[in-house]
Amino acid sequence: MLAAAQDTVQDTVQKALVELLSRRETATAAPVITDETDLYADLELDSLEVAELSVLLEDELGTDPYSQGIVPRTVGELVAFYG
Amino acid sequence: MLLDLLLDVVRTDPQRPFLITPDRTRAYAEVAEEAQDLARGLRAAGHVRVGIAVGDPATAIVLLIAASAAGVEPCVYPQGDATARGELAAQLGHEVVVVDDAPLSDIGALPVGALRGGAADLPDAPDDAVMILTSGTTGRPKGTRHRWSRLLTVVQAGEGAQQRWLLAYNMNQFAGLQVVLQALASGAAIVVPASVQPRHAVEAMRVHGVTHASATPTFWRFAAHLLQEPGAVRPALQQVTLGGEAIPEPVLAAIVALFPDARISQIYASSEFGSSVSVRDGRPGLPLSVLDRSDDAPVQLRIVDGELQARSSVGMVGYHGDADRDAGWHPTGDLVEIVDDRIRFVGRTSDVINVGGVKVAPLPIEEVVSAVPGVVAAVVYGRPNAVTGNVVATEVVAAEGVDADDLKARIRAAVTALPDAHRPRSIRIVDALDVRNQKLRRPTEPS
Repeated sequence: MLAAAQDTVQDTVQKALVELLSRRETATAAPVITDETDLYADLELDSLEVAELSVLLEDELGTDPYSQGIVPRTVGELVAFYG
Repeated sequence: MLLDLLLDVVRTDPQRPFLITPDRTRAYAEVAEEAQDLARGLRAAGHVRVGIAVGDPATAIVLLIAASAAGVEPCVYPQGDATARGELAAQLGHEVVVVDDAPLSDIGALPVGALRGGAADLPDAPDDAVMILTSGTTGRPKGTRHRWSRLLTVVQAGEGAQQRWLLAYNMNQFAGLQVVLQALASGAAIVVPASVQPRHAVEAMRVHGVTHASATPTFWRFAAHLLQEPGAVRPALQQVTLGGEAIPEPVLAAIVALFPDARISQIYASSEFGSSVSVRDGRPGLPLSVLDRSDDAPVQLRIVDGELQARSSVGMVGYHGDADRDAGWHPTGDLVEIVDDRIRFVGRTSDVINVGGVKVAPLPIEEVVSAVPGVVAAVVYGRPNAVTGNVVATEVVAAEGVDADDLKARIRAAVTALPDAHRPRSIRIVDALDVRNQKLRRPTEPS
């Protein structure tokens, strides 16, 4: 049960990031996103993209780390917020 | 003052229709008699100012005429329950509010019936004060103090014996009062539909042969939809007026296409400044020439820091509870941009969305989203966000049978034409937008 929920969170985060990155004007090949992927150093999300990520996560999962004052650095930290 | 306009018609054509409601038609003579009776009752009741909270707009119209003849300052309230009525009466300092009916225990409520058969004399030169509430789209409505004489200066009296005007506004709205004054000054009839809902209003236009119709763009958007249905009978309108909120280009285009023979007017007016501009060229926005009006024009306009300012001699005397307003320039709260030699409205100052320090006006974004195929209507607003303070959000009504994910993708593609901070980051498909007083309301969310 817990594993299934975690999969859903993982999927939602992945989907949200792929969606955001696909809309960039200089869209590159879909990057491989792992738990270690750094949202800023690797994906270079700007503040508006992070804002949109928080909106997408809030709508899909009911809450998001940013509104709780938590600023995850990696994808793993982001997923862990929902653990 | 209003009674004199009625009596002018009564002298030559007493049986001319004046108030046409779903259940009956009242002639000028009948309304004049009823108004004088109620005026004597108001005079006898002895109040200087009254609220009016009656359900039937036609009754409200007769009461306004009666109050004007009695020299009593009337103020029509928006629809609401007894609690809302009491709060408003306390805010505006009204000792009594005229209502349809009330228990004796309700001391602040004066039933219309109690005013009938009054015996007091009417004054020769009654005070001509009237109070009009602001629309209160943000916060509580404010009372604006007006004079019937000032309001009538900018009403163009026409030859209205053959005209039938649709009342598609509530009588607490400035634009509703404008329709009544226009009809009175022209000797025209007013058609009061069962409600201001577009379906009822379109029905009333057909049944009662409406020739002149004034309503908000939000009303016209839905009315156009009804009139575009296969087999729909279009009323033979001679005049279509749009006002009360910014007019989106697609709505204007739909009206021009639906009524090719009608004169189309766009009105820029407010309860603070009065009727300020009437545009008849069928193009969106205002012409730049409105900025060059002479010092003796009733309303002058200028743009300061992207906001329209006005100097008006036909607007309110002042807010309720405030001193009379000086005759100088005052901000309108309307933000504008000059595009292609036209003044285009981009939003109210209170609608501006602060996205990480970038100030974003909603209307140009609404136009882009609304133009996406599959979108019936859209509203743009600020959604609080921990990262950037707010993000631009949009609520969208989708056309029937449109896939939600496809539509979101099309909207996301369309808004890439906008600057980064202006692009909606939150897109919600909803069944209907929030419409009150036939105006679009922008959602607000707690941060």
